[in-house]
Amino acid sequence: MMRFLASIAILASTCLAQDAATDIILKAMRDELARNAQLKLAGFSGPYFVQYSLDDGESVSVVASLGGLLSKGTNRLRVPRVQVRVGGYDLDNTNSIYARFGSSSRFDPDQLAMEAGYEQIRRHLWLATDRAYKNAVEAFARKQAAMRSVNQSEKLNDFAKTTPLKIIYPVTKYPVDEEVWVNRAKSLSSIFLKYPKILDSSVDFTASQSTFYMVNSEGSEVRAPDHLIALTARAAAQAPDGMLIADATVIKSTNPAALPTEAELQIEVKKLAESVTALAQAPVGESYSGPVLFEAMASAQLFAELLGSNLALSRKPIAEPGRDLQIPASELEGRIGSRILPEWIDVVDDATQTEWRGRPLFGNYLADMDGIAPKPVNLVEKGVLKTYLMSRLPVRGLEGSNGHGRLLGPFGSSAAAIGTMFVRANQTAPLADLKKKLLEMVLARGKPYGILVRKNGFPAVSLPSRANGSSRLVSAPVLVYKIYPDGREELVRGLRYRNLSVRTLKDIVAASDENFVFDFVGNAAPLSLMGAGGYITNATVVAPAILFDDFELERPQDDLPKLPVVPPPS
Amino acid sequence: MPFCFRTVAIGLIAAIACAQPPPLLKVLNEELERNFRILKEKSDPAPYFLAYSVTEQESYVISGTLGILSGKSGGASRTLDITLRVGSPKLDNYHRLAGERQRPQFTTGARVVLDDLPEAIKRRLWLETDGVYRRASQRLTEIKTNSQVRVKSDDTSDDFSPIEPSHATENVPKLKFDEKVWAEKIRKWSAVFKQHPEILASSVMVLAQREVKTFVSSEGSALQHGRGFARILISARAKSADGMDLTTSETLEAEAPEKLPKDAAVMAAANRVINDLKGLLKAPEVDPLVGPAILSGQAAGVFFHEIFGHRIEGHRQKDESEGQTFTKSVGTKILPEFLSVIFDPTRHELGGTDLNGWYSFDDEGVPAQRVGVVESGVLKTFLMSRSPIEGFPKSNGHGRRQAGFEVVSRQSNLIVESSKVVSGKRLREMLIEEVKKQNKPYGFYFEHVTGGFTTTGRGGTQAFTVMPLVVYRIYPDGRPDELVRGVDIVGTPLASFAKILATSDRPEIFNGYCGAESGNVPVSAISPAVLVSEMEIQKKDRGRDKPPLLDAPSLGGGQ
Repeated sequence: MMRFLASIAILASTCLAQDAATDIILKAMRDELARNAQLKLAGFSGPYFVQYSLDDGESVSVVASLGGLLSKGTNRLRVPRVQVRVGGYDLDNTNSIYARFGSSSRFDPDQLAMEAGYEQIRRHLWLATDRAYKNAVEAFARKQAAMRSVNQSEKLNDFAKTTPLKIIYPVTKYPVDEEVWVNRAKSLSSIFLKYPKILDSSVDFTASQSTFYMVNSEGSEVRAPDHLIALTARAAAQAPDGMLIADATVIKSTNPAALPTEAELQIEVKKLAESVTALAQAPVGESYSGPVLFEAMASAQLFAELLGSNLALSRKPIAEPGRDLQIPASELEGRIGSRILPEWIDVVDDATQTEWRGRPLFGNYLADMDGIAPKPVNLVEKGVLKTYLMSRLPVRGLEGSNGHGRLLGPFGSSAAAIGTMFVRANQTAPLADLKKKLLEMVLARGKPYGILVRKNGFPAVSLPSRANGSSRLVSAPVLVYKIYPDGREELVRGLRYRNLSVRTLKDIVAASDENFVFDFVGNAAPLSLMGAGGYITNATVVAPAILFDDFELERPQDDLPKLPVVPPPS
Repeated sequence: MPFCFRTVAIGLIAAIACAQPPPLLKVLNEELERNFRILKEKSDPAPYFLAYSVTEQESYVISGTLGILSGKSGGASRTLDITLRVGSPKLDNYHRLAGERQRPQFTTGARVVLDDLPEAIKRRLWLETDGVYRRASQRLTEIKTNSQVRVKSDDTSDDFSPIEPSHATENVPKLKFDEKVWAEKIRKWSAVFKQHPEILASSVMVLAQREVKTFVSSEGSALQHGRGFARILISARAKSADGMDLTTSETLEAEAPEKLPKDAAVMAAANRVINDLKGLLKAPEVDPLVGPAILSGQAAGVFFHEIFGHRIEGHRQKDESEGQTFTKSVGTKILPEFLSVIFDPTRHELGGTDLNGWYSFDDEGVPAQRVGVVESGVLKTFLMSRSPIEGFPKSNGHGRRQAGFEVVSRQSNLIVESSKVVSGKRLREMLIEEVKKQNKPYGFYFEHVTGGFTTTGRGGTQAFTVMPLVVYRIYPDGRPDELVRGVDIVGTPLASFAKILATSDRPEIFNGYCGAESGNVPVSAISPAVLVSEMEIQKKDRGRDKPPLLDAPSLGGGQ
C-alpha cells in the first residue's frame, strides 16, 4: 500500500473493536458509493467503476543530530483517493496521457478533516467523486480523439476484471511515546560526536501507523493495517583526497515494539560510524574485471534493485502521434520463457509469508491498492522467467492481477511492485567455500586479488546513477574489499559498477546456503517523472550470497571537491 | 569579555544592560570569529564579510471546517543563513551579471539543532560556512572572467555598503497558545458555515507564531530580536450556476494570539464571508468597462503595494532585467501632490490594530527606520538594503528575507498619507459626479480585495492585477449599489497614479505576507480610500465545469 514519502503516518484510530458493519469509514464509503452510481452528465455515460480508498494514519517523526533535536512532530494523515472510470473494462479514461488531466474545480481538500466522522466523510467523497467523474469524462473524450489518429500496434484492455473480495482486519495501533524517541534519537546521534572524521550525521526515527480502507463498486471492501516504523542513521565523511563518503543504516519494522533495543541500536550506530571512518581512510580501489563475491546482504540488495524494478512492466499510454514519451521499459519485457538466471535458481514473490526462520518479514502485506490480496507468484523457475508482478493493469501478453498493484501508476491505474521476494538456490555451499572458490578463480586467472562486496548503496545511501555501459540507473556499492589469496581483506572506496544489468544475473556461478533478509522501502521513483512519485512500499528480498566469475567495477574519473580550508571546530 | 548591549528604544522590548549574552549568540560569535579569521588567513579569494543568522520559529496552526478540526500542525525549527562576501565591496560574489535572470543563492537555510549545544551548532556552522565559501569563491571567479563585467553598465555603484555595527538583545515575549481553547473556538466558528449548503468549501484557521532572529557579523554586529505573529483566516468557496469559482475571505491579525479579536468580531467576519459569498452567487457578471472607481482603504493599500511598492525596491533599479519604472524619476513628480508615501517598520500599530510589517532590525542587522519615499508627489528615494545603487549608497533598513533566502530590498509598513481628504460620504458623491461627467452608466466600489501580483521584469508587460473579492456597481440615479462578480482590475501603473482625484479621511489597514525573490515577509499597507477617475475592469477567467451534479449528502443521516 502507500504512504506519502515526505510526511509519514501513525495513527490514532480508536475503533479497535469495531467490526466492518459498524465501521463508520466503510459505511460512509459504501453509502456515498451507492448514491454516486447516479452520476451522469447529459450526453455522456455514467461511471462503470468507482473506488474509494483512504490511508488513515498518524505519524511520529523525530530527527536529531550530534545530541540535539533538529525537528519533531506528530501528524495525522488522512489521504483519500477517489477513482472513477468511464467507458468499459476494454476501453476507458485511463492509460492515456490525459488520464490525470482535469479542468474541474477542486472543492475537496487534499486531506480528510482529522475529525471527520460519517457525515463529513460522505461530504468529502461527494465533492471528490463529482470532480473525478467530470475529469474522467473529459479525459476519455480526449483519449478517444487521440485514438482516431493513432494505429495501435496492439489492442489491450484498460482494466482487468476481478472477483470482488472482502478483506477486513482489525484496526491496530501500537503506542509510540514521542518523548522516549526524542531522547533515544538524541542519544544515538550523540555517538557520532566521538568520531571526528565524520563531517555530517543524523538519526531519524519515523513511526507511521495507518489503516488502509477501500470500497469499490464491484463489491470489494478492504480494511487492513499498514504500518511502517523506521530508524535511519546517516553519516558522511570526506577522504583526504576530497572524495565524499556516505553510508546509512536503516532498521525497519511494522511494529515499534519489534525494533531492536536501545543498546542494540547503539551498536548499529557505532558500526556505521566506524565503517564511515574506515572508508574515509581506505585507499581508492582500481578498475577491476574478474571474479566477484557478493555477500548475502549485498546480493539481496542487488536482486532488489535489478530484479525488483524489472519484474513489473510499464505500459505505453495513448498519446497524440509523434509524441515521444520516454517511458522506461523493463529489461525483462518480452522475455517470458527465456532463461534469466542459472537453472538452479528459482524466484518467488510471496508476500503472504509473515516470517522467515523466525524473523518477521517486512514485505508482508494484506491487500494491494486495488484491494486484492497478494498471491504467491512463481516468477522464475529453474532460471526461466515465467511471469510478471501484476496489478489490474493489463500489459502485453498478460492480464489479471496477482495482488501486486502497490503503487499509484502514472496514467490512472495502479502499478505493480514487489512484496517479499525469495531468491532460492537449489545448489548451495557454505559462504567459506564460496570465498575459497573465489580465491581459486583469482589464482587461476593470475590476478593479485579478488573482490568482495559486503554492502550496496541501494536504496538508502546513494542515488542511482547511470553506470558506464548500463542501460539503467544503478546504485554504487558502499563496502567493497579486495580479498587476497592469503584471505586478507582490504577495504577500498570509490568504485562503481560497470556494465551492470539484469543480464548480469545469468552469470552467477555459485550461491551460499545462508541467506540475508533485506528489508527496504521501495518507491515509485522509476515512475516519478510521470507524476507518480511520492508513494512508497514495504518490501523484503531474501537471498543467498552469490559468486560471479566475471564482473566489472570501475574507478570513475570524477573531479573531487577540496577539503575545507578551516579545520573542524574542536 | 562580557557583552554589553545597548538599549533599543522600541515598544515592547525590554533591553538588558551588560547581561550575559544569550547562549546561541555566544556560540555564533565564537564560530564566526574562528571561520572568518582562518578563511582570511588561508583562503584565496579571502572573505571580507561574514554573517550568521539563525531564525528560530515556533508555531501552531489549527484549522477547522463545518464544526470539526480539519488539521493541526506546527512545531519548532532553527534555520541558519550565512552571508559570505569575497572580493571587495566594490566587486564581490553578489555582483549581478548582465542578462542573468536568477539572482545568485549562497545560503541553504540549513537546519540547526534546537538545543543550545555548542558542539553540534558549531559543527553545522563550520560545514555550512565551507559550502557557502565554495559557492561564493567560485561565483567571484565566474564574475571576474565574465566579459560582461567589463562593459560599463549604467549603474557603477558598489556591491555592498558599510554600516555601523549594532548590538541588542530583546526579550521576545513567549508564545502563549492553549491548543484546547483554540480548537474549541475553531470548531465553533467553522460550524457557522453548516447552515449554508451552497457553500462548497469553507475553512477557519488560526496561526500563532514566534520568531527570534540571532545575528552576528564580522563587522561586530550582535543582535537577538524578534516578534510574534497571530492570524485568523476565514475563507469560503462556491461555484455559480454558470461555473464561475467564487471565493471570499477575511483575515484578522495581531502580534500575539491573545491580542486577536474577540469572539463576536470573528463571528462577524465569518458572517461577512458567508453573506458576501452568497451575494456573489446571485450577483450578475461584470461587463468590461473603463470608468471611475473608489477603492476602499484596504483595496488601495494593496493597489499601492503592488503597483508602486514593488517598483521602488532598490535592487530593481540596478537589475537590468527589471523594468526600472522609477529608476530615473527621483526628484520628479510621480503621484498627485496631495499624496505622500512612507515606509515605516518602526510603527507597531495604528488606531489599536497591530501592523504586520514592523521589525526592529532588518535581516542585514540594520536598525529599522522610517523612509519617506514620496513627499508631496515627488519621488525622494528607494527602499534600500546594503546593496547600493547609483546615488543611494546606504541601507535604510529594508534588506529583508524569509529564512533560507538571500536578502533583497523589500517593503515594510507602507503608509499612504493624503492632504486632500474628504469624508467617505463626500468621496462617494464625487464618484457619482465623475460618473455623470464621463457619461458612464455606473462607477465601481472595490470594498474588499485579496493580494495581487505584479510583474516588474522587462520581459513582461508592466501590468498589475489585484484580485477583487467584493465589488459593487454604484449607479448615478440613486439605484441601490449592486454587487457584481468576476471582476479583475487591469492597467499600467504609471497611468493609474495620475488618476487619483481625492482620498477619504480614514486610513484602513491591509495586513499580509508579500512573496518575492527573498521569500515571504510580513507587510502592511495603510491607505485611505481613493477615488480614481479611470479604472480598467476585465472579466475574470472562469471554470468550465458546473456545480456538483448531485445534491450534498444529507447531513442529518448516519450515526
